Order: sequence, then C-alpha cells, then structure tokens
Amino acid sequence: MANKETKKKKGWSRRKFLIRSSIGVGVVVGTGYFTRSIWRRYLAGIANTLEAPYQGTTTAPGLWFEITAQNQIILHSPKVEMGQGTFTGLAQIAADELEVNVSQVQVVHAETMSGNIDTFATGGSTSISSLWTPLREIAATMREMVKNEAAKQMGTTRENIKAGNGIVTDGNDSFTYGEIVARVAEWEEVDTPELKDISEYKFVGKPVARIDLNAKVKGDPIFGMDAEMPGMLYGAVLRPSMIDARLVSADTAKAEGMPGVVMVVKEEDFVGIIANSYYEAESAKNTIEAEWSANKTWQYQDIANMIKVGQGDPQTIQKSGSTSGLAQVEGLVSAEYTSPMGAHAQIEPNGAVAHVEADRATVIMSTQVIELTRKEIARRLDFDKSQVNIKPTYLGGGFGRRLHTPNAIQAAVMSKAVGKPVKSFFSRQEEFQNDTFRPPTHHVLQASLSEDGLIESMEHNLSSGDVALGSPMLPAIVGQVFGSDVGAWRGGMIQYSGIPNYKAVSWRVKLPFATSWWRSLGLLANTFAIESFMDELAIKAGKNPVEFRLAQIDGSDRGYRLKEVIKAAAEKAGYSDEVSNGRAMGFACSTDANTPCAQVAEVSIEKGQIKVHKVTCAMDPGLVVNPDQVRAQCEGSVIMGMSASMFEKMDVIDNQLKPTIYGAYKMARMKHAPKEIDVVLLQNADAPGAVGEPPLGPIGAAIANAVFRLTGQRLRDMPLKLA
Amino acid sequence: MKLKKSLIFTALSFVLLVIVYSLDGREKIVSERVHTETDQNVEVFDKVMSVVTHKRCMNCHPADDFPRQGEDSHVHRFGVQRGVDNHGLAALQCGSCHQEANNLLSGVPGAPHWSLAPKSMGWQGLNKFEIATAMLDRTKNGNRSKADIAHHLTEDPLVLWVFEPGVDNEGTEREKPPLIKEDWITAVKEWIAAGAPIPAEE
Amino acid sequence: MKISFKINGEDITVEVDGNMPLLWVVRDTLGLKGTKFGCGKAACGACTLHVDGIAVRSCSYAVRFAEGKSVTTIEGLSIKGELHPVQQAWTDEIVPQCGYCQPGFMMATAALLNRIPNPTDQDIDDNIVNVCRCATYYRMRKAIHRAAEINNQKV
Repeated sequence: MANKETKKKKGWSRRKFLIRSSIGVGVVVGTGYFTRSIWRRYLAGIANTLEAPYQGTTTAPGLWFEITAQNQIILHSPKVEMGQGTFTGLAQIAADELEVNVSQVQVVHAETMSGNIDTFATGGSTSISSLWTPLREIAATMREMVKNEAAKQMGTTRENIKAGNGIVTDGNDSFTYGEIVARVAEWEEVDTPELKDISEYKFVGKPVARIDLNAKVKGDPIFGMDAEMPGMLYGAVLRPSMIDARLVSADTAKAEGMPGVVMVVKEEDFVGIIANSYYEAESAKNTIEAEWSANKTWQYQDIANMIKVGQGDPQTIQKSGSTSGLAQVEGLVSAEYTSPMGAHAQIEPNGAVAHVEADRATVIMSTQVIELTRKEIARRLDFDKSQVNIKPTYLGGGFGRRLHTPNAIQAAVMSKAVGKPVKSFFSRQEEFQNDTFRPPTHHVLQASLSEDGLIESMEHNLSSGDVALGSPMLPAIVGQVFGSDVGAWRGGMIQYSGIPNYKAVSWRVKLPFATSWWRSLGLLANTFAIESFMDELAIKAGKNPVEFRLAQIDGSDRGYRLKEVIKAAAEKAGYSDEVSNGRAMGFACSTDANTPCAQVAEVSIEKGQIKVHKVTCAMDPGLVVNPDQVRAQCEGSVIMGMSASMFEKMDVIDNQLKPTIYGAYKMARMKHAPKEIDVVLLQNADAPGAVGEPPLGPIGAAIANAVFRLTGQRLRDMPLKLA
Repeated sequence: MKLKKSLIFTALSFVLLVIVYSLDGREKIVSERVHTETDQNVEVFDKVMSVVTHKRCMNCHPADDFPRQGEDSHVHRFGVQRGVDNHGLAALQCGSCHQEANNLLSGVPGAPHWSLAPKSMGWQGLNKFEIATAMLDRTKNGNRSKADIAHHLTEDPLVLWVFEPGVDNEGTEREKPPLIKEDWITAVKEWIAAGAPIPAEE
Repeated sequence: MKISFKINGEDITVEVDGNMPLLWVVRDTLGLKGTKFGCGKAACGACTLHVDGIAVRSCSYAVRFAEGKSVTTIEGLSIKGELHPVQQAWTDEIVPQCGYCQPGFMMATAALLNRIPNPTDQDIDDNIVNVCRCATYYRMRKAIHRAAEINNQKV
C-alpha cells in the first residue's frame, strides 16, 4: 500500500469539530443557492468580485489544521492539487497567518469524512482566490487558539504570548506549537482575530518552490492511479467507441472463462469484468462480443452543421448602446470563425479504487468534484452521503476532465458485487472515446468603423455545444432559468468598453454526446474569434493593433487593468507591426474571470509550418501569492492553448470518435514549444484572482494575427492551417 | 612530386574501376532481361514484387530518414528518425517501442532487430523494376549475393513479419501482403533460381 | 511463466503471464508506482523506464523479453538517496505541475544524456517526444540543459 497511513493525531481531537461542523451544514445549505448564482456569474467572468466565493462547509480550524508533536502543520485542503500549485499557495497563505515557517506546512487532501468539503469543485481558477480570505481567517484563528492554550499552560494571558516560526513564548519560556498542542485536553474557541497587513507577510508573494516538488521528482505514489487497497481486484468496464451509442447486447461467455476473471457484472448501464489483475481484466474485456446501436449515423460535418449561429436558442449575454441596423451599415466588416471539438487528453486516465462494505463506501481517486462524486456514489448504492468517504489524491492532470466521474460509481458497483475493493480506470482509447469534449464553436463578428477609425458598433454571435449546461455539476434547472450556457460564454463578451455600441449573443446547441468543461471553457475559442477580428479591424482602420485596442477601453478599474497588461506585453515584447528576419509578431488579449492577460507571439513559417518562437505574456491576476507558480501556469497555458489552436481536433467518422491515441491526436510536444516564454506579472488589485485559465485565452489569436502579418493569410478556423 | 603523381594515378584507376564495375553490373542485368524474359519469369517477378512493394515492407524502406506507418503510410508519428545505425535516436530507438514480437495489447508491431532498411535500400518512390534493380545491386544491398538475398527474404524474421503483422492500436488487423508466407518463399526461391530476372518495364 | 531480471540493481523472479506488459509487473507485482500508465500504446511515454540502459516504453514491453536483463525505474534513478542529476535539474527548474508524466520524461532524458552528454536543442526536440498535458516543456528544456551541466560538473 503506497498511501501513507495518517499519523496518529496527538492532542487534537478532530472528532469534536466534526460534530460541530455537521451541525453547521444546515446553515450552509440554506445559503447555498444564493452563492451558486454568484458562481454562475463568476463562471461567465462577469462577477465583479475578484475573489471567488468560498463554498466550503466549515471554517472550524480543527478541520483544517493538524499540529503534530513534532511541530509539523498538516493542512487538510478541500481543494485538490492537479498541477496548478494550489497546495503550495495554500501553505504560504496559512504559514503567514499561523506564524510558522512554510517548510513546516504539509498539505494533504481532506477526506470527505473529515467534514471539510468544498461543495463546488476544484476548477474555474478559483482555488486560491476563493480560499484567500477564509484560509487566512482560519489560520489566524488557529494561531490565536494555540496562543490561548499556551497562555493557559504558561500561566499568563494570550496578550503576553508571542508566536513566530511555530514557537510561542511569554518572554521567558518557549515551546513549539506541537508541544503546546500535545498537552491540550479541551480546546477553547477564540474569536477570529484581525488579519495581518499583506505587507507583513513573509511567504505570500514569494516564489516558494512547490511543496510537492520532491515527491513528483522522485515518482512517489501520490496519484489516484497509484492507490491500492488490501485484497484489491481490478475491474474493466465495457464502454462504447462511438457517439449516440446504446448497448444492445454483450456476450460475455468467453470473458467469463478467461484466466484471472473473478466475476462479470452486468448492470443496466454498464458491463464490468472483475479480475485479479488489470491485464487479465482488460484481456477478458477484449473478448466480449458487444453490439451497439445508434439512432443515426453521424459524421463530424453533421455536428459542425449543427453548430451555426442562427440555430438553437439565442440569448443576449451583453449589451451596451444599440447595435440595431449594424448589418445594413455601409462598410460593415464581418467575419466568421470556428473552433473544433477538443479532447482533454490528460495523461492520468480517470479511475477510482472503491471498497463498498455493508454500511459504508471508501473511494480513493483523482477527482475535481469530491462532493458530487460522493453524492453520486451514495445515490447509486442507496447510501446516505455520510456513509461514503472520498479520499482524494493528487490528480495526473484535471483540465475539467474530472468534473464528472461515472467511473467511481462503476468501481463502487463492482466492489459491492464482488465484496472486495475494486480498482477500475479508463483505457486511453476509452478516454478519447468517452471524453466530455470541448464543444465545437462558430462565431460571427460584425462591426462598423467610425471616420476616425474606431469601432462604432460591434456584435459577437457565438454558437457552441454545452459547456456548463448538461453537466451533472449544475442542476438541470439552471439551464431553464438561465437559457444559455455560462461556460460557453466565457470570454465571449466584448472587453472593449469604450466602444459606443456593442452586443454579444450566445446560441445554445445540444449535441448528441457529452461536451463539457475544458480548461478555460469558452475562453480559448471566443478570444480566438474576437481578437482575430480586432486585428482585422485594426488593419482595416490602418492602425497599430495595440493602439487600436488601447483607444477603445474605458477608464474603469477593469479597463485600467486591461490597458496596463496590454502596454506591458507590447513593451516587453518590443511589439512591432513589421515583419523582421522572417518573423512577425501577433497581439491579442482577453479578460477572464477578472484577470486581464495580453500576449505577443513571435512567429515564422518553417517548411510550410507555423513555428512559434517566443511568447510574451503579461497578466494581472491581482495579488500574486506565488510568482513562480503563476509563471508556470502562464507557460503551461500558452503551450496548451497553442496546442489546441494549432493541432488538436477530434473527429467523428460513422459515429466513431477518432483518433483514439496520442500522436494521431496531434498535440504540441517539446519541439513545438516556444524556446522563450517571457512572463510579466502585474498586480493592480489587492486580492488574488484567477490564474490557471486566463493565460489560455489570447494565444490562438496572437499566433493567427502574426501569421497574417507574415503571409497575408487570415486563418479563421482552429486548428490553424496554412493554405 | 612522385608521390603526388602516384596518388593521382591511384585515384584515377579507382574511379575507372568503379565505372567499369558499375557498367559491368548494368550490362549483366540487361543481358539477363534479354535472355530470360519468359511469361513465367514475369509472373514470378510480379509475385515477388507484389509483396516487396506492399506497405508492410515499404513503410520501413524510406528513401529519407523517416519511417512510415499505417495503411496510409503516413510519416511515423512522434518524429521517429533513422539515426546513425538505422535503429533510431539516442533516447528514441526503434527498440524503445518495438520489441521482438507483435504486442497485441498495445498494437505496436515487433520482430527481431526491428529497424529501418539502410538508406541505400530506400525504395519509396521507386517502381518495382527499380526496386528489384536496387535489391540486386551489391553496392546497395549490403553486398549480398543472390543466394544471400534469397536467404534474407525467406528466413529473416523481420522480413517474414510482414505475413503476421498483428493488429494496430485499435485492435484492427493490419493488412497483409497479397501472398501468404509459403507462396512468397516459393516465389522468391523460383525467382532467384531463375537468376533473379527483372523483366523490361512495360 | 517464471521470469528473472534485475530491477534497480536487485535480482528478482516473478511468476506471471509472459505477455503481461512490464509496466504492470513493475507497478502491480513489484509495487513500484513511479512508472506511470498513460496510454498503454507506447504513444505518450509516461511508462518510460530503462532496459539495459535503453529508454523503453514498458506498457508495450512483454515481460518475457526482460529475462536476464537489467531494468531501471525512476525509483532506481537516484543513487544512494541522492537525486540523479536529471532529478536535481528538474528540482532546480521546478518543472513538474501535475507531475504524472514527469518520471517518464526524466527516464527518457537520463537515457538521452547517457548517449549525448551535451544535447543541443535539436537533440532535445528529436529525442524527447513524450507527452505532457500541463505542457511543462519550456522548463523541461531548461532542466535538460541544466542536467547536462550538473553531469559535467560531476565528471
């Protein structure tokens, strides 16, 4: 068994807080719907608060922190670590208010049984921003509680105790937090103290190395795929290879006789093979003769034809002034853009290890939706959710792929059937065939220019398959109440608030297969369309694209921050309109979840292919907790966005989803990655905002705009292909 | 001075030798074409070449440094390259993925000494007559005699892999050449026994 | 069938189906989880380990071929608890994000440096073809050069 057993906790009773928090749950539920509506606005990037709402169940310090006798602080995080560096940021934030050294802080995933649960998810670039205030308050309260107990133990009052580096002192004697905590029998609660001034923080704002770095460099068993339970068997699930598929029959006779096979499970919605090893389970599954039926034969073009502005349900998502009559204006500039269906292609397949006993279920897995997974398993097993304990692990990539986890249900059902723990995960082929894809999109942009070469009126119409709607994460009613899809809109609004008249309209189309969240949701495609169009307009107006943009942003706080990143990116890159030494620069910017980001891509054409040499990325995510990790997110986003813009596309051929293998699903690799990525971080806000997705926005348009300068070809379809 | 002269002489005679040798070779082949071209020979030749020119063979006989793969002979994914010894690059060897037998789970094909044919045996872009000519050319074929060629074509497990090419990554069987292995071996032996005649191009 | 080979310097014998991929023997029979499953098709490189010093994609390597050979995994890359130069470079450059693919990349890089101690950018582009979805390539390239430097200092 790889996962370390939780150390025996001395002196700190978590059980006591568990009871208290379970009382508190009712209160949280009562206000839940209201906060969810903020969520919806936040997802669409229109909520005006920089900080995302906290959707946790508890602020009891004892459910967040364990302090060991060895003076190690264990922070139980309800948010998962999927590479975005959240654990490191949380450790920094906690350390500063706890008055401990960041190296003392270990971060682990909170089990649901602990009662410390994030009822939303890990996604939407919200982990640090939503925990920024609550975690500081919880940590500060924890510190005061330790000081309070220290005072009692040392026979003085809390005011006389000073805390620093994990040590408390009354001026004469000193003890570690761990020593104090070990002697506590009954904790006394204290009021949440005033938070420290940000300028006093020692770790927040510093490029602290990732706290999981050593484990990841050594290959430690920290992922869901690495989890084991004693006596565990392996379950392979028969999955369709095509869209719109229904299982007609499955002949498992041969599989049942295969070596190592323990049991064949036939449920209404799936067929599973349980065997002694993964190899045996998969080998047996491959012998199943299955018949699938589909309502009709689908080709990719059928799907592309569905995604067209003008079809489905429209909803105006943004309006300022009046754009009526725009289509009839003389000199109307109009262009259409598309983006394809994309796969998540995270390297760790979705999977789970489940152990279902008579009165409880334990599930170890990588998931972005701990609470949803818990509820779904409970529902399927006819348990109360309190009987289901989800033990989240590190994720081998998330990107939205783990916002729906039916595989956990399958593992649980198989475990229940066989009476032993069962580990079950997708094969790669199944990942590609059963992904919840990034939906294809279609965009129509129209604008008129004034005599002085500025935009008079502009409209963005976008058509997209569902992103947020249809997801089990949101209740179905959201779709009815809301009409269109906040996820599809992301990045679809026009950020140039200085334009007198503008409007954005979203057209919803329901596709015959699951489309869903893919890192940054609609941002990538919407920004590609709008920012390519802005470049076309700038050229039409005969203006420098950077100045053209700057001239059409108002003086609001939001406008100010956007202008600053635009100027910073242009200046750092030495932006120029001119082609020089066979290279050209392309500019684009976006505002996502209140984080403005501007990028300059330096591009050439080599052997008929687009080559990206350098990307300059300026971003203002507000207060930066860890500049190294924010840079890492920018670097990764730039390359992942580049990969999606230049290479990636899922296909549908006679209902079959293709390709089903890396390589054939072409993605950016080492040789495609820019050799230079220059990140400039601005902090024109005093709380941390979104980081993990905003830098994915501009890259596609930045590349396309550079290609136009180089070749005169305006590439309006992703993936970008030269004629 | 004397040394220089002798050097020039040596060089000149070497060049001459090469010319004579290659002329000699060409002469021979031409004469064989003239003297042994019968219907049966053409048929055997075509049989042999129907396998040789099949993608299962051709994919690993590129004229450039990039193997091909698949039924559509696309350039091998992941930027796989020939390398100095035809076995790939430092950390991206043929043997990094291809083992001594087909892997039916992954769909990665395999056979002993999986590698590219030497560049001198790069056949892509050649027609069957040109391929056969290259195959018999000792300057290109690794100095193999006709008997050696027969042995290579009928015994080498890497060559014979083409008759049991396994499945692809989706479990679909790879297309096999138009002959079964036994017929291929018979055809090769007949062709070589007849002196490996190459019919005139139509 | 019984198959004997060296794993990270230790002799072992396993009794498994000879066609079982080495990956699953290493992960599930031997319990070494550092070698990752990504695709099972030798297409992503997450399962890269060394067989007799050659970078091999273990998901597509039938264990019977390991007979008598020496297999090294990420767990065996460090020497006496000291990080291997590649791991040290990965630490210095803070390469991993989610970290799942990184052992495969580090094993491929270690194999590259064994044969090309000072790789050029072109060598890196040609040889390091694994897939990283977090797209940490920018830092990886720096780390590969850094690892070569560390190696050179040691020699």
